[in-house]
Amino acid sequence: MKKMKDNRTSSVVMHNVLIGILAFIWLIPIVWLFCTSFSSYSGMNTSTFFPKEWSIVHYVKLFHPDTVAQFPQWFLNTFIIACVTCVVSTAFVLMVAYATSVMRFPMRKTLMNFAVILNLFPGMLAMIAVYFTLKSFNLTNSYAGLIMVYSGSAGLGYLIAKGFFDTVPRALCEAARIDGCSEARIFAQIVIPMSRPIIVYTVISSFLVPWMDFVYAKMILNAGVSSKYTVAIGLYKMLDKSLINSYFTMFCAGGVLVSVPISILFMIMQKFYVEGITGGAVKG
Amino acid sequence: MASDKKKGAAGTAGGFFKAIGNYFSDFGEAFAKGDAFVKLSALWMGAGYARRKQYVKALIMTILEIAVIVFTITFAMQYVPKFGTLGTVKMEKVFNMKTMKSEFNDYDNSFQILLFSLFSFVVWAASIVIWMKNIVNVYKLQKLEEAGEHINTFKEDLHSYIEEKFHITLLTLPVLGIVVFTAIPILLLIFVAFTNYDQQHMPPTELFTWTGFTNFLSLFGGGGLTTTFSYAFVRVLGWTLVWAFFATFTTYIGGILLSLLLNSKKTRWPKMWRTLFIITIAVPQFVSLLLVRNFFSNGGIVNTICANIGLTGFLRNIGLVSTSYIPFLSAPGWAHVMIILINIWIGVPYQMLIATGVLMNLPADQLESARVDGAKPFQIFRKITMPYMLFVTGPALITDFVKNINNFNVIYLLTQDVYTTTNQAMANSQAKEVDLLVTWLFRLTQDYYNYKMASAIGIIVFIICAVFTLVAFNRMIGNGKEEDYQ
Amino acid sequence: MKLKKALAFTLAAATVMSSVALVNAEDETIKLTLWGAEEDQALLGELVEDFKAAYPDVTFDIQIGVESESTAKDTILTDVEAAADVYSFASDQIYDLVNAGALLNLEEYGEALTLAGKTLDDVKAANVAGSVEAATVDGSLYAFPRAADNGYFLFYDSSVISEEDVASWDSLLAAAEKAGKKVGMTLASGWYNASFFYGAGFTTDLNDDGTTAIDWNGTSAEGYTGVDVVKGMLSIAGSPSFMAVADGDMSNQLAAGGLCAAVSGTWDGITAQEAFGDGYAATKLPTFTVGDEQVQQASVAGYKFAGVNGYAENAGWAVLLADFITNEASQQKFFDERESGPSNNTIIESDAVKSNIAIAALAEQAEFGKTQKVGGKYWDPAQTFGELIAQGTLKADDDAGIQTALDTLVEGVTAPIE
Repeated sequence: MKKMKDNRTSSVVMHNVLIGILAFIWLIPIVWLFCTSFSSYSGMNTSTFFPKEWSIVHYVKLFHPDTVAQFPQWFLNTFIIACVTCVVSTAFVLMVAYATSVMRFPMRKTLMNFAVILNLFPGMLAMIAVYFTLKSFNLTNSYAGLIMVYSGSAGLGYLIAKGFFDTVPRALCEAARIDGCSEARIFAQIVIPMSRPIIVYTVISSFLVPWMDFVYAKMILNAGVSSKYTVAIGLYKMLDKSLINSYFTMFCAGGVLVSVPISILFMIMQKFYVEGITGGAVKG
Repeated sequence: MASDKKKGAAGTAGGFFKAIGNYFSDFGEAFAKGDAFVKLSALWMGAGYARRKQYVKALIMTILEIAVIVFTITFAMQYVPKFGTLGTVKMEKVFNMKTMKSEFNDYDNSFQILLFSLFSFVVWAASIVIWMKNIVNVYKLQKLEEAGEHINTFKEDLHSYIEEKFHITLLTLPVLGIVVFTAIPILLLIFVAFTNYDQQHMPPTELFTWTGFTNFLSLFGGGGLTTTFSYAFVRVLGWTLVWAFFATFTTYIGGILLSLLLNSKKTRWPKMWRTLFIITIAVPQFVSLLLVRNFFSNGGIVNTICANIGLTGFLRNIGLVSTSYIPFLSAPGWAHVMIILINIWIGVPYQMLIATGVLMNLPADQLESARVDGAKPFQIFRKITMPYMLFVTGPALITDFVKNINNFNVIYLLTQDVYTTTNQAMANSQAKEVDLLVTWLFRLTQDYYNYKMASAIGIIVFIICAVFTLVAFNRMIGNGKEEDYQ
Repeated sequence: MKLKKALAFTLAAATVMSSVALVNAEDETIKLTLWGAEEDQALLGELVEDFKAAYPDVTFDIQIGVESESTAKDTILTDVEAAADVYSFASDQIYDLVNAGALLNLEEYGEALTLAGKTLDDVKAANVAGSVEAATVDGSLYAFPRAADNGYFLFYDSSVISEEDVASWDSLLAAAEKAGKKVGMTLASGWYNASFFYGAGFTTDLNDDGTTAIDWNGTSAEGYTGVDVVKGMLSIAGSPSFMAVADGDMSNQLAAGGLCAAVSGTWDGITAQEAFGDGYAATKLPTFTVGDEQVQQASVAGYKFAGVNGYAENAGWAVLLADFITNEASQQKFFDERESGPSNNTIIESDAVKSNIAIAALAEQAEFGKTQKVGGKYWDPAQTFGELIAQGTLKADDDAGIQTALDTLVEGVTAPIE
């Protein structure tokens, strides 16, 4: 018995050291990003890991917009787009997932197969058609257009949520139906509250889309008006060949500033993510 | 199992055609047996409802009908008649010095004709479905009335949309979004594969037109450049599949293992660790991947460090490297391995999040009884955890695989402007060894405006993927396995 | 839902169209959009104000957007109609832009210039012949030359390398080796590596159907073979003091401090100045060895143009604006504020321009500059060919191998546009 306890202590240490090592590897590039953003040199430093001279000058510059960098404005633009996108996308995903998982109706399998088929096409190919569709409704160079592109097809990403809904005990829904609940109430008041983890997952991933996308945004916001950019294209354009040498550190600083709020959001959501799953559900 | 699968696939297809058959026979029956008002509904869609005193519905249907007619006259008729030729009038302009403006002729834009014709077809198809359904519905009303049964008020009809017809309420908007932003664009590009839409035929200045199977023939045909085109296609396809396989499974297994590691009772400060890992994915990919690309570039920091500690020299001595730097992202082989490793870095925390959520739902009684039976942790993992994970995330695994086939960001951000192929045959068809089909297509369209070839290749890829996926999909979620864990 | 939207859209469009037709009166506002590089935005703003002041009777609404000259083509060709009325672009894009109808044929619109009191011939006469030639397609002028600084030459550190050393690649590399430093040039780019072939008398040309004609696998007019040129390139690339720099990475390498000379252009001028300090100098490109002769390395003469969109609504005013931002006074401002190398004959002759080290070197190289006429199929095969040389995959003693590589290059470049 005693031997086993020793064994346990050392294995706990080993266990945590292993995690530590992994976390260290995972964080190296992030640390580099962070350090580089505090460099006083504007271009890229390729000789040392840490900057030769530390300075916050590029953060200061970020908040004093010039014609190239209008970071505060970009941030606001992206935030608005991301909020709307994430509400619409999450709603779409949950609606489709619930309908295909819990409800039974003719054409259900057909619809699901069609969704799979659509997912097989390279989306990049359809970009030009999406652009001209938006253009014909006069929605290019508008945030509404971007939001539609980001969330319009969100329903196709329903499979993960469906997989989750499939694990919700069917007996609960049956009981509610016998109690005279409408389908809508079962959806809104029974299944949804039990599904916080998957909702959080969907919210996270759809909230992130506008922050990460530089392909569609560049195509749709093509009037060249810098103040209308999202963070992603704004920062991406800083790496243009003619600009990289004077804006690389600012690009890093911008990257850090974008990541901080997103990380905080992640942490808050992650709490829900883990807690949400244990409360509420009737097991078995 | 094999017969099950067959039944599943055949069942789906059979069900689909049966449903369509039923739809038409219902319509035929309704139209034949319906009374005058049912028949009148074929012309005036509100007629049947008006007769049964469902005035609101009658009004809605009438407005809808007028809308479709107006749409057809003012919009569709501008484009659909030109669908056969995709336009014949080329753009011409003259300068008017008085107004200081260009005066354009009424020229055709092939792309617009194609796009708006498709839109019109979709609208018409939907209208026909509604029109037929409408007649079936009015006939049902007629029968209800004849039987003296209760006819729903408008309020009751509305109520049914949160009851037995709730799925319609749920699905309408998402499906509409998918049709407009995915289905029609894809359909359009399928059509483009049968045209000569390339840099020599770019609207609005030039017209393009139908060319049948020419693009597919030149993709597979011999002689001239087309040999290198199919040469490049085979190689790019090969790497795409290898990449998708490794990218999917390394991050999937990695995510589960990491989540088990973090959620183990032995872990101290699990929240802090999880936070650290999640930071990696909180940094937008275009920032983190572009950084990593510079990190590993030929003159980058990692190379500086490797040279300083003598690793570069060592690798050169054993013949793994022939240059004065380690070509992490600039030579085939090296770049392939690095891309998969970097993808693990960026993908595992994501999968860890998903796995954490799913594993929390792991049936506790099964785990408990296994433990009581004296099962070892590895056995529990293999016999209980993995099967459960596979059940819940199995479909997602297939979508992940397809997503990785089309994983644009990782490859594009890591190799664009950095990787130069030394394979001349590939360069002659604008491909690189590290290209996925999707990045290749992207450059074909963005830099070479070769939409017709990109579309043709896209269709071939789709066919390959579709066969594979539908089989896997039916196998995994078909056959009523959905109920097992409920 | 969809029906209603489409309907509403159609009706709205119809209303707008008819109202436009009605309003089209004297006092309308002239709407124009202008695209320029990010770093030029402030100056363009000034110029636009000057332009408005030059026509006080007209109400203008001019929007300035950002689009880098080097990427203008990619954005514009995606949707010509959405592109700006007037935009700046690099001269190598002109064929694709004309092909796509993205540029006005200025010969047809030259009449508009009478409002500025000049003719198209005045524009042609005011700028250096090379720039006008590069802006001319099929005998018609398609763009206004604005700068002649989009070419490359040699930066060097005169504290390490003497004026005699920069005369040839051999002496240059030897001097660099002595100093323990390197000479950098981008080989993996069809824009840079063509300089060796052009120098030996090889050519590229653009056919009517958009394909490229190229003779690099044969013998040039001056009697050199392509294989000999490649051997000359290989002997440079194989030197231990040569560094093959990735396209776009030059400023980085200059800043890192390992280089004592570099083939690049004015865009790296400031970085080179910082890197070389007091030794900062620039000159024409060196000669290189072909067979056993020394041949002057040529270059691609690059210009920056202002073009008018073929789909511009107020085409006449757009032509005037494009002319305005490229006229002598504007080019002077571009030189004063942005150190842009002018294409205007008068400014080129000014002392200020002549004393600018980088621009003077550019002018020196201009004599050996060629207008690069190539189609879209040229770039990828040429880039790969350069990479083959840079990585030493081709061997200098393997004539057959070099010939095969050249043949493959020519096959790829001359391929029909499928």
